[in-house]
Amino acid sequence: MARRTLLALAVAFAVLAAVPWIREPLGVPVFYLAFGALVFFWVAQATSWNLLSGYTGYFSFGQGAFFGVGVYTSAVLSGRGGMDYFLTIPLAGIVAALLGLAVGGVAFRLRSLRGEIFALLTLAVPFILASFARINTAIDGGQGIVLRIPEFPEFLGGFQDLAYLLSLGVAGLAVGIAYVAQHSRFGWALFAIRDAENVAEGLGVPTFGYKMLAIGLSAALAGMAGSVFALQIGFVTVEGTFNLTVPLFVIVMSVLGGRMHWLGPALGALIIVTLQDRLAAQGFEGYSLIILGAILVSLVLLAPEGLMARLRPRLLPVVAAAGAVYLALAVTGVWGAPLDWFAVALVAAAVVAFWPRRRTVAAARAAALGGIAPVEEVEDEDLTDTAAPEALPTPPAERAIGRPIIEAHDLTRHFGGIRALDGISLTIHEGEVVGLVGPNGSGKTTLVNLLSGALRPTSGDIRIDGRSVLGLPAHRLAHAGAARTYQIPRPFGSMTVRDNVAIAIMFGREAASLATARREARQHLELVGLVRHADALPGEINLHERQLLEIARAIATRPRVLLLDEALAGLNPAEIDNAAGVVRRVHESGIAIVLVEHVLRIVNQLATRVVVLDQGRLLAEGEPADVMRNADVVRAYLGRRAHA
Amino acid sequence: MIILQAAFSGILVGGLYALMAIGLSLTWGMLKVINLAHFGMILLSAYLTYAIATGLGIDPLLTIVATAPVMFVLAAALQWAFQRFRVSEFNSLLISFGVLIMLVQTISNVWTADFRRLGSDVNPYSSGALSIGPLAFPMPTLLAFVTALALVIALELALERTFAGRAVRAFSEDPPIAAAFGIDHRRIGILLAGVAGVTAALAGMLFAIGGSMTPSTALEWVGLVFAVVILGGIGNVAGTLLAGALVGIVTGLVTVLWSPSAAPLVVFSIVVLALLFRPRGLIPRGGTT
Repeated sequence: MARRTLLALAVAFAVLAAVPWIREPLGVPVFYLAFGALVFFWVAQATSWNLLSGYTGYFSFGQGAFFGVGVYTSAVLSGRGGMDYFLTIPLAGIVAALLGLAVGGVAFRLRSLRGEIFALLTLAVPFILASFARINTAIDGGQGIVLRIPEFPEFLGGFQDLAYLLSLGVAGLAVGIAYVAQHSRFGWALFAIRDAENVAEGLGVPTFGYKMLAIGLSAALAGMAGSVFALQIGFVTVEGTFNLTVPLFVIVMSVLGGRMHWLGPALGALIIVTLQDRLAAQGFEGYSLIILGAILVSLVLLAPEGLMARLRPRLLPVVAAAGAVYLALAVTGVWGAPLDWFAVALVAAAVVAFWPRRRTVAAARAAALGGIAPVEEVEDEDLTDTAAPEALPTPPAERAIGRPIIEAHDLTRHFGGIRALDGISLTIHEGEVVGLVGPNGSGKTTLVNLLSGALRPTSGDIRIDGRSVLGLPAHRLAHAGAARTYQIPRPFGSMTVRDNVAIAIMFGREAASLATARREARQHLELVGLVRHADALPGEINLHERQLLEIARAIATRPRVLLLDEALAGLNPAEIDNAAGVVRRVHESGIAIVLVEHVLRIVNQLATRVVVLDQGRLLAEGEPADVMRNADVVRAYLGRRAHA
Repeated sequence: MIILQAAFSGILVGGLYALMAIGLSLTWGMLKVINLAHFGMILLSAYLTYAIATGLGIDPLLTIVATAPVMFVLAAALQWAFQRFRVSEFNSLLISFGVLIMLVQTISNVWTADFRRLGSDVNPYSSGALSIGPLAFPMPTLLAFVTALALVIALELALERTFAGRAVRAFSEDPPIAAAFGIDHRRIGILLAGVAGVTAALAGMLFAIGGSMTPSTALEWVGLVFAVVILGGIGNVAGTLLAGALVGIVTGLVTVLWSPSAAPLVVFSIVVLALLFRPRGLIPRGGTT
């Protein structure tokens, strides 16, 4: 599968690269070279944008900045400095990548960063650069820069051939990188970030690093494409470079083609450029932006998943429609030139692809799964759960208490003026099940957030195996052996249940390949009893099953301590008993557990020790039976008069 | 003295930024809609002001009678569509971006891409200035600042005192609870969006009085006005005026002391710093989480 796709890509690239040599014998006008170069420029831009924004979900409006830096790197070095133009192409990529890393280094460290803020921050970057280029006479100074045509080898017919080949090269590089990224750990990390970033970090994915890699690569590709573009137009100005055209177009192209698939943006670029070109040729130039805007609005409202996702279930009708329309126009010959027919055929194909139809389950799944490769070998002999929970012997949770794993010392955490936690010291030993109870707002979830590294304490210290982990990112704590679940399940919505677990294995303490991880995922799904749902999407299973998925995903990181944040909330009694059985089995597999819970019956059953929090302070600690009789605890739970 | 003059002029120009930002900040903060089409509506109002005042030969301030209802309806219709399709906060940004470029292109088709400016025969405010001692306050920006100030006071009072205002605030803080108390968020949302549309009409009119415009002017505002919204604190009406004044002062001073082209560099650096250290606006409001 993968090899065939790569082969097809290589063949397509070779055929396109041969065009400058076969165009004269075939009688193809030079116009097609210029058109092709334009298509490839936008393919490179859109694919580069998608690598960052489509894959991670962080929409950037700053594509123009990376593009513009590439344009100006080549313009200044080659046009002004007289450097060999061809050398400036990689330099443009490097300078743009540095800018990307600088933007990412600031933006991705913002604690309050949300998608909207990132979009607006990146929107500001081109304006800053534009004013910088305008005042700085060494860069532009406001007059623009002329680029000379470099000397090129004789075997190329003319400048158009050179520009065509350079554009093709950058576009091919971009599409190749997008393909490789989507089919590697890198891509999986980015998809996990898009679906649920904090969860991914907590499962051991170094999200900051992957986001930086994405923005750096994306910027480098945009910069190189910008460098080629500068050569093509020959004269660059600040106004013509740092504007909103590039970000606007790449967003429309990617949304049209599909952001979840490596080929989506390229497809979108082909359609939009062809349409733009033909509209302009027919004298409708003034309407092109209106059409573009309308396309964007209707796509976001009606088909946000884009063309690629729609193509999979109806590839044949789409290709047939395009072919039929093109042939009909070509044979009758009543109107237009080949490119016009091609444009109409593209539109026909898009209409067929987007035509609303009652969606089958398979189509909906394909749409939701996007470009993620399906499991190729299903090796489950039987899909029923072999380990029925009731059949297992369930001895009381007694294991030898061992060495301390997590030691929290004097933890305090403030939110504004509120002390959510006030001087908590707590040690979790091997083999323990620590019940963490307390009224609402007593600080239980805050404590889980601190112990898993999702939040940092205002003061105090946390040690794992005696080493302080204070200030380490959450994925490092995951690798050190602390995993957690969320009270409200937060699965990766675009991945199957199996892949949700597999990703935790892939990025766990010992990195594993996707194939290995998918195989190993089965044992964790067995433990919680979810094997029969392995190929379902998280949206297709019920709340109880999603909570079990949370547990499976957490234990897949091979933790030493599992922090369960109200894993039983909202369940009915039968489901609670089943979940309690799962917790017991997890404990028996050798994982210490911190059980945040309101259902005291379950805490009494499972816990070897109970810790009671009240208003951020440690109220009581000890054997479950003793603690439950403690007068302070009864007061905290039932109010003052209850004890009197 | 020239520095003082630059600072004061800057504050007044900041009034115009604030005027543009108020509507955006309100709908973002209260309705969770990031409405880039707001810039298109400001631009359309400016062009309508130009067209009506020039065509009928009337005082440009009178055109608000026509533009305000148009913008109210336009903004309310857009909000209706957002609610009808249950558009998420992020998708509202994309959709309104599409609407913005459609508006810009339409304006360009109608009025061409050339610079347009109100002629001095219909614009009695273009050359006037209020002098206090050695300082001169040009009329267009003075009007904009006074309008922004009045609008901020009126909106703050409306949000504080009227039922609709309280309903909006309740809804922005906790939609399900507000709905449980019988607040019909759809009508309130459409009303609020309409009010934001009226602020766009005001901003467009005052921009037309003070300067010249091309269709791409709308895109030039985006960065600066969002800077004002974020610095002011999203949804904080009074904050936008303060932030507008701050941005205006900085722009004015940098222009005089360094170079006009350097102003965006400084302003956006401030925004980035503000996002780093003051993510909830320069003057965070209230003690909520």
